[in-house]
Amino acid sequence: MSSPHQKPTGFLIGFSVILVVLVLIPFFVDLFYMTFLTEVLVWVLFAVSFDLIFGYTGLLSFGQALFFGIGAYSMAIPISKLGIGPIPSFFLAILVPMAFAGFVGYFSVRLSGIHFVIITLIFALIGSTLGETWTSLTGGADGLTIPFTPLSVGPLTIDLTNINTNYYLVLIVVTVCYLLLRRLVHSPLGKVFIAIRENEDRARLIGYNVKRYKLLAFVIAGALSGVAGGLYGITLKYASANFLHWGVSGHAVVYTIVGGMGTLLGPVIGTGIIMILEHYLVNFLQGTDLVIGIVLVFMVLVAPKGLVGLLKRNSG
Amino acid sequence: MEPILTLNNVSKFFGGLLAVRGANLTVQPGELRALIGPNGAGKTTLLNLITGIYPVSGGQIFFKNQEISNLSPNVISHKGIARTMQITSLFSGLTVYENIWVTVQSRKKFFNPFMKAASLKDVEEKTERFLELTGLKDKGQLIASELSYGDQRLLEIGVALSTEPELLLLDEPTAGLSTHESMSLVKKMRTMLTGQTIVLVEHDMNVVMELADKISVLHYGEVLAEGNPEEIRKNEEVKKVYLGH
Amino acid sequence: MALIALGLNMIFGLLHIINMAHGVLYMLGAVVAWYLIDLTGNFWIALILAPMVVGVVGMIMERGLLRSIEDKPITTIICTFGIMLAVQHLVFMTFGGTPRRINVPIEARFQLFDLQYPLMRVVIALISIGVMLGLWFFLNKTKYGLWMRAVVQDREMAIALGIPVNQVYMWTFVLGAALAAFSGVLAAPIVYVDFMMGREILIMAFIIVIVGGMGNLEGSVLAAIIISLIQGVGSIFVPPAIATVFSLAFMIIVLLFRPQGLFGE
Repeated sequence: MSSPHQKPTGFLIGFSVILVVLVLIPFFVDLFYMTFLTEVLVWVLFAVSFDLIFGYTGLLSFGQALFFGIGAYSMAIPISKLGIGPIPSFFLAILVPMAFAGFVGYFSVRLSGIHFVIITLIFALIGSTLGETWTSLTGGADGLTIPFTPLSVGPLTIDLTNINTNYYLVLIVVTVCYLLLRRLVHSPLGKVFIAIRENEDRARLIGYNVKRYKLLAFVIAGALSGVAGGLYGITLKYASANFLHWGVSGHAVVYTIVGGMGTLLGPVIGTGIIMILEHYLVNFLQGTDLVIGIVLVFMVLVAPKGLVGLLKRNSG
Repeated sequence: MEPILTLNNVSKFFGGLLAVRGANLTVQPGELRALIGPNGAGKTTLLNLITGIYPVSGGQIFFKNQEISNLSPNVISHKGIARTMQITSLFSGLTVYENIWVTVQSRKKFFNPFMKAASLKDVEEKTERFLELTGLKDKGQLIASELSYGDQRLLEIGVALSTEPELLLLDEPTAGLSTHESMSLVKKMRTMLTGQTIVLVEHDMNVVMELADKISVLHYGEVLAEGNPEEIRKNEEVKKVYLGH
Repeated sequence: MALIALGLNMIFGLLHIINMAHGVLYMLGAVVAWYLIDLTGNFWIALILAPMVVGVVGMIMERGLLRSIEDKPITTIICTFGIMLAVQHLVFMTFGGTPRRINVPIEARFQLFDLQYPLMRVVIALISIGVMLGLWFFLNKTKYGLWMRAVVQDREMAIALGIPVNQVYMWTFVLGAALAAFSGVLAAPIVYVDFMMGREILIMAFIIVIVGGMGNLEGSVLAAIIISLIQGVGSIFVPPAIATVFSLAFMIIVLLFRPQGLFGE
């Protein structure tokens, strides 16, 4: 089932071009911007994972920050406290958030609409409260630093304190996740999620076990948020309890809405544009929320399908 | 012949309100049973009970000799029961094609996240078939919410049929349609319905008299009378209840 | 105690209008009060005026921004979220990031068992109760209150009965905003006036409304009391953070088993 707009070759070309650009950038751009770009990529992954649960399945979850933070701590705690190497820790950053998402999701998917929003919020609050006070484990808001020593993988030596190496790692992971996600949303399973978003009751009436698939979407999104969190910890070299705060989820909301929810390109564009905007505005306005807030209100009222929606409207 | 659907003393409480009171109903396979009655008689509630949207407060519901009284809607759907709603319930943002496609897919046991949905040839074939059946093939790429109201009602029946049910519950399919549109829908229904057992809730008596094999009249949550159209037409009690209809 | 008064306010904001900016309205109340006190030196004037100012803000919000999206709950959540971000930042830029104090207007303390208990808290509690009673009276005994309740119960019916629904919506919102601001002013002498004030309160307030039952005022009050109790009693035995976790867990349980809230229908 393909819509007239989806040309596989078009995507392939566009994607390859962007990929090539991203691969070559480190040679042209200085290190400060590389760190920024790396962070943008991490947030792209986070926003895209949010879009899976919100744009594609129709569930607004303010709790994604919980899995993001747990992902970061899944790197931080094993490496700094347990002496576990970065590679196994990275797998933990996938599995541990996924387990938590399973737990939270198990209870949350029994509810719909505003109740779902609230319950995910409450779980996030519990998480952030515990995170902030259990300082022996999490280092509280100040967080835990993650020491990275160069490690050998076969013939390669990977030194994550090198900004460009860090960048390429993040680029690879985010690209792989993006491609996987793209396949998912066009897959039979993806269609189930979309059906649930469009009309949950009708989906149930035609035989879909809606609870089960909501949970599945939630777990997948949670796993991806965790990966994003893990990457964030790697990039920043620390994890803080602030990562667990629901305001972090708020960022994903903004990026996704502005870019266009229910599309994969949307969160990518949204994250990029907003983060660049934030970067420049920080100095003028001592912060960025004012503009973000206004943009959000504007988008919601005028262009609910985000920038991608606007583009589609003009070209279609 | 074994009845395909049996309601045994089914009741439903909503807080203090008794919506359905000891309803008894037996439907034979292949029958087209009409459920009529004034507003609030409990017709839609009955359908909701059968499809598992509400649990029963009392009594049992049997489908092909299996008790389905408290099963959830998705399980019941897989047993072979499909339903249209009184207020159109479609996947409004999806196209007509996609609406049917995703319904056809629902019959599968496993949804692969790693392959392209478009490559499921069996689903594609069936979708084309059902699109033809509903006569909406040329409107396949239209978004469901952009269809005319009449076409939406038609699509809803099409969606229900795409689950290949043995029992089809239709909740006021002609609701909101003009007499002309209703008759047009009935004609289309005749070609679309291929031997399923049908329970039809309707307000439009012309449609009922046209289609029904047997009629059950509901009043205040109880089955008041049953019989073929002629008998019901002559029934004094029914006439009283339907003052002026 | 301020929490309880807030709980009430939330209901209004939540008349199917999910208002994430509500915390901000609370904060604005305190901030505006600060400016007024700076000007006049009188707390009680601020207590009356600040809510009115914020009420106007609420009116602008409802009229200007929310009217068009009132039927889409997810959209309003996001929109009010945006408003919250913007206003918070605006306040940050004008008022500054440092929390400021408002002097407690009633400095007296009195002996309660072994502790020195500030009289101000009692006064706040009394005022809160007074306001709540006034509100109850307004809603149940006056015509406008009846209208408000009718619109909440069944919008279509209300239109059919000739009630000016749009106006009622607006005034309900305004009332909710004013109440939030009022609590903000009341709370100000005890907690610091700070641009971030609204955030923590917001979540608690939402949760209280949901747990108490949306649209059910008495429910919210009771829910607020229960939750404060759990937190208070809990704090005696375990560190406050854990007590918070307990009250949050309690709320989850309520949501799961009675999604309509403890007292909702």
